[in-house]
Amino acid sequence: MAVQEAKRANRLKSGKLVNKLVNEYWEDLINAKKTGKKVIYTTGLPIGPFMAAQDLAWIHGEGYGARVAARHEEKEPQTFAENRGFNRELCSYARTQMGCAMFAEFGVPDDLMPGPIATEIPAPDAIVTCYPGCSTGPQWDWAIERVFGKKIPWFNVVIPYHMGRNGSTYMKGEEFEENVKYVERQFEDLIKFLEVISGKPYNWDKFQELMGVTKKVGQLRMEAMELCKAKPAPASFFDWSIQIAPVNYLTAWPGTIEAMEAVKAEVQERLDNGVSAVPTEKYRIFWEGIMNWNKLGWMADKFASYDATVVAGRYTHMAFWHEPDSIDPEHPLRGIAINHLECQLNLGYPITEERMMTLSKEYSIDGIVFHGARTCRSFSRSHFLLAENLNKKMGIQSTSFEGDMVDDSFYKEELVNTRIEALIESLEAQKSR
Amino acid sequence: MTSKTDGSSFFTMGVDSGSLTGKAVIIDGNKQIVSHSVKQLGFVSQKAVTMAIDEALDKAGLGLDDIAFTVSTGYGRKRLEIAGKNLTEISCHAKGANYLYPEVKTVIDIGGQDSKVIAVDPSGNVKNFAMNDKCAAGTGQFLEVLARALDVELTEIGELSMQSDADIKISSMCTTFAESEVISLVAEGHSTIDILSGMHKAISGRMKGLVGRVGMQKPVMMTGGGAKNIGLVHALEKSLGVSIFIPSEPQIVGALGAALFANDFATGIRKKVEEEQDLDKSRAPAKDCASCSIQNYQLNKTT
Repeated sequence: MAVQEAKRANRLKSGKLVNKLVNEYWEDLINAKKTGKKVIYTTGLPIGPFMAAQDLAWIHGEGYGARVAARHEEKEPQTFAENRGFNRELCSYARTQMGCAMFAEFGVPDDLMPGPIATEIPAPDAIVTCYPGCSTGPQWDWAIERVFGKKIPWFNVVIPYHMGRNGSTYMKGEEFEENVKYVERQFEDLIKFLEVISGKPYNWDKFQELMGVTKKVGQLRMEAMELCKAKPAPASFFDWSIQIAPVNYLTAWPGTIEAMEAVKAEVQERLDNGVSAVPTEKYRIFWEGIMNWNKLGWMADKFASYDATVVAGRYTHMAFWHEPDSIDPEHPLRGIAINHLECQLNLGYPITEERMMTLSKEYSIDGIVFHGARTCRSFSRSHFLLAENLNKKMGIQSTSFEGDMVDDSFYKEELVNTRIEALIESLEAQKSR
Repeated sequence: MTSKTDGSSFFTMGVDSGSLTGKAVIIDGNKQIVSHSVKQLGFVSQKAVTMAIDEALDKAGLGLDDIAFTVSTGYGRKRLEIAGKNLTEISCHAKGANYLYPEVKTVIDIGGQDSKVIAVDPSGNVKNFAMNDKCAAGTGQFLEVLARALDVELTEIGELSMQSDADIKISSMCTTFAESEVISLVAEGHSTIDILSGMHKAISGRMKGLVGRVGMQKPVMMTGGGAKNIGLVHALEKSLGVSIFIPSEPQIVGALGAALFANDFATGIRKKVEEEQDLDKSRAPAKDCASCSIQNYQLNKTT
């Protein structure tokens, strides 16, 4: 029978260090109210340091949804949210967190048996929205506010698109500079809001210290990822997806520098010893799209079985403190605004294409996999155009399949297999030409 | 039927275990089609695949042992025990289409469960491809469901739809929603032939988008069961503004491509075996040494 030998991804071992930090963070969050901390719900960009400086606990909606899904506890909260009118086609992160928040506020219905993580979410004392490139995010928080009786103070940071108007390009130009100043002003107001919520003057010293940590972790991660320009790559996109937490909701959490140092050291060691992320690297793939958290291990092994390393991705390489050098810890607001404005979801099409072409060159990309998340169309809106233009301009072939971030009911495994295998077969034919 | 002892010297088989049909094609060493078979029994039916293989072997006067190499393709490709290798329909349709029409540059395949557009290079390799979304929109299954809703045989819908001059629009491409839309159109008093014509226009509109993603280059060939539907072919030609080449048996193109890949593998294996044999010959002792003690020792050791 034509069964391929099961090759498996050789994932980074130091990734386990992050698990420890994640567990500490969730433990702190779950017990926040008991220790007198107020809880802030956030969605969108990693703005934890704003709250951490003021000794407030924060819960990041997408991070929470991803954690619930990674523990395979997402079905019950999603079902509960759907039963309360949140359509299945709406953002699955939002549906998951909404369901969990409703468990907290309304109790668990008799016909559902949610897991422990899904029922541990503490109620919010305030909401801070900071969403780029997606209109669902603010509506999600609006819905959360309604779940809790419209009594929750809410601050919405508006992140305007960087469209590339008037010749503005990545990190440059009039539009970019105007946007940075606009976001900076909102951050100044956010700080005033957090002073009111916490009932004390803002702790700038702590905030600056935390942004120093953020800069360091961001630098370490970018340096470690850049080591994977080597052939074969010592780590893959799936490793970097696991490493998102320290630059996302765990931003500036104690221990993140040490964790990322360990990751970088392991990648360097692999490079020195010729150890690769997949047993035999024949093809180098770019992952375009958001990560599918409940399929991460499955995907990593799948590509390894085809001798393909997914070396880079828009999700991992174009966001999450990806411009750490722009952060000045003494005056951190501008750097935060730059990283958030220039993240993958907030860039106009020409800038996105230019960034992807640059990464494709730097990482010697053979093919692109477009993961169209069914409930995150803001991420997949440019996929067809990107596929067409990267093929025309760089001769890079691609394939696309539909999936989701945390709702695996949108997967049809055989369709995914066929599309990925077809790409690999055509890359093989291309190489043999 | 062909003789096992003609110039072809070996046979290979391609099996397409599709979502609705099983197809098998046997070719000889000169890549000439010896026999083929198409069987429909239900979704990814192993029985249909087995029947197609048996019939193809029977028509060729061959047994399974006579097949040097088998390649499987289609949705059930990984379940076929006798296959030495499995490949996707994309690669196999490209290869098969190129064999039938070497100038072909774009292949449109409308199969039971999916539809795809493939840009093919002059060697039959895939240059680029696009497939339909996860749902069955614009596929054979879509047509089957709607034919059933209209109480018309699937084989008749092509001819019937050609009789229509009306411009009925079916906006939904979701099979389930389109079925309700068709029922509504029936309730509104639209004729079956007009609705069928609307269905074909809806699919051709969808396929036009898929073709656009790959970039249409002439000549264009259509494969898969959908190519047997003259109404759909006509609607697609109109929508794309090109003449579409339809092979005499469009459903076997994937299996044919698989058989051609099998021929490549078998040729590669035979060549390797021959090279090894040549190497063994060059290493073999001279005839008058055959009975020497060293040779006998080696034979004894292995027996």
